[in-house]
Amino acid sequence: MFRSLSPHYFSIEDIFATQERLPCKFVVPVHRLGFLDPSSESEDIAVGTSIELPFWLAQTLCSQRRNIVTVEIPKIYKEAYREILKADACVVDLHKFGLFFYEFGTYLSRLEHRDSAVIGSVLVQTFKERFRQVMDWAHNSGTDPAIIQRLDSLEKALFREGHQTRAQLDAWLNAGTGLITAAEMVVNHKKRKLAVLDDF
Amino acid sequence: MENSDDVPLSDEEPVTAQIVLRTLQEVWLNEKFSPELLQHQSDLVDCMLDQIQQMEENLCKLKKNDFRVVIHRMELDRIRYMVTDYLRIRLNKIEQYVIHILEQETSRSPEDAFLSPPEHKFAREYLAHMEDHFRLIALRHMPSNVQDFDKTKMAVAPNISSHIFLRVKKNITGVVIEGDSENRDEEVDLDENSQHIMQYKPIADYLKSGAVQLV
Amino acid sequence: MFCEKAFELIKELHRSPDILPLFNEDGVRQVLEEMKALFEHNQRDVNAHIGGDASYLSGVHLRHTALERNKRCLLAYLYDRLVRIRHMRWEFGSILPPEVKYNLCEPEILWFNKYSKSLANYMKSVGDSHGLNLTQDTKPPKSLYIEVRCQVDYGKFELDDGETVLLKKNSQHLLPRAQCEPLIRQGILEHIVH
Repeated sequence: MFRSLSPHYFSIEDIFATQERLPCKFVVPVHRLGFLDPSSESEDIAVGTSIELPFWLAQTLCSQRRNIVTVEIPKIYKEAYREILKADACVVDLHKFGLFFYEFGTYLSRLEHRDSAVIGSVLVQTFKERFRQVMDWAHNSGTDPAIIQRLDSLEKALFREGHQTRAQLDAWLNAGTGLITAAEMVVNHKKRKLAVLDDF
Repeated sequence: MENSDDVPLSDEEPVTAQIVLRTLQEVWLNEKFSPELLQHQSDLVDCMLDQIQQMEENLCKLKKNDFRVVIHRMELDRIRYMVTDYLRIRLNKIEQYVIHILEQETSRSPEDAFLSPPEHKFAREYLAHMEDHFRLIALRHMPSNVQDFDKTKMAVAPNISSHIFLRVKKNITGVVIEGDSENRDEEVDLDENSQHIMQYKPIADYLKSGAVQLV
Repeated sequence: MFCEKAFELIKELHRSPDILPLFNEDGVRQVLEEMKALFEHNQRDVNAHIGGDASYLSGVHLRHTALERNKRCLLAYLYDRLVRIRHMRWEFGSILPPEVKYNLCEPEILWFNKYSKSLANYMKSVGDSHGLNLTQDTKPPKSLYIEVRCQVDYGKFELDDGETVLLKKNSQHLLPRAQCEPLIRQGILEHIVH
């Protein structure tokens, strides 16, 4: 069953989203961690060093209390790219923008950065404009499968959900429900067993 | 069930059996569509299961090729499906939101408990087994300052902002729909028998008091 | 970068959402080793800090964040696997086929058995303790009898009314739905719809 999408501690998607990187500039020196900067051989990280860090790390280092780095917004959320989305969000290959475009973007919109608020509204706007198209694709059996490659992971999940409900509706209209099927895991297990046999 | 005007199998209190069935059907749909766990209805479930058993016994008394057998057995199967599905949905939610649900349950008195005693036991065991497992493989091998099983951090909560379909059973005035950065709060009245699609959060209390039905 | 190994574990699950991959014992061990190293380095730098040099604190903070991240990834890995294993209890029943069981580590088998027992106790307690099997009646019934096709040579199968049928591979039968549902779920029979 398709339930809550809100991120939680064990959420695989959320761990992926917080793994996305963003440029960070160190404002204090950090001893003995020089190896984090692949372009430098020094033992320490010097003030002014720029490194791309995953969001989970950047977030704690840039808090007001710590203030170890200042973060920069990744280029796909910067003004030039935001303009592309504003012009016509529907034609954009969002997958190329980022696999977790909305989730990562939501985190950026919560940072204390001068661009945060505007990123938030661009996300909402982009989603609204593309949603209709995603649902249209999902409900149309003639949709070219390649088109899915242009969606970010959230849109892909919605697409799959829409596609499934459409298939369920069709099945119900045609024959009614009630077909008992082998448990999904049993089926997968059988397939793998066959595949293993094929290898011999 | 649609054909609830079937000839009842039991001679005693036929009306009650039908009311039980109808109530259970509402309870089942509410649980199915509500994002959070609702209050348990074990009395209703027990009562229905007793009815099933009684009907089954009565069926055995009928001749095998009596055409009524087919109809009633079908009806029985449908009721049994509804009961098992209802309990399955609850177990699913209990597992998924176990920390959150147990935490909420501590603030409730036994009469207002949302979990039935067996569900409560199941939930406590589920959480304990999970913690044992984490401890056995990972936590005890971790450095001392990160070994804790931090329940507040690890709780998974249902998304009560998700949308639901509902039918109004009693007139309700002044449901407050929270606004966002662009819209202001709004108040709406819901008329009896009207149907709506809206966020779960503003109507959660009306669902619990029985003023609306999820569909 | 820190926590690469831990993220590998998460990627592994993400790559195969429908099956349970082999428990990555080596991967888990490497994450725990990285955590140990992070902790030891922090101990050293904390001592330097206590010795009066405050400039080590940023590094301590950074490593601690990495420790917590490692922990999160590792527990999420275990958690997601438990959810899949839990699902297996509902699909395969209380006894797992050996090839499936092979992908579980010892503690996971232990957990599976405990879960199985908890669930059985719960199902027994439903309805004034006449019990109710919740892994049955998984689909809304449409008819009492259904047409099924046998997928394997199963042998004799006794129905509730005492009659027996011989289930041979590729044979077709009209059987009471309630009784053959478990066999369909296990993939022994296939439900035929015209």
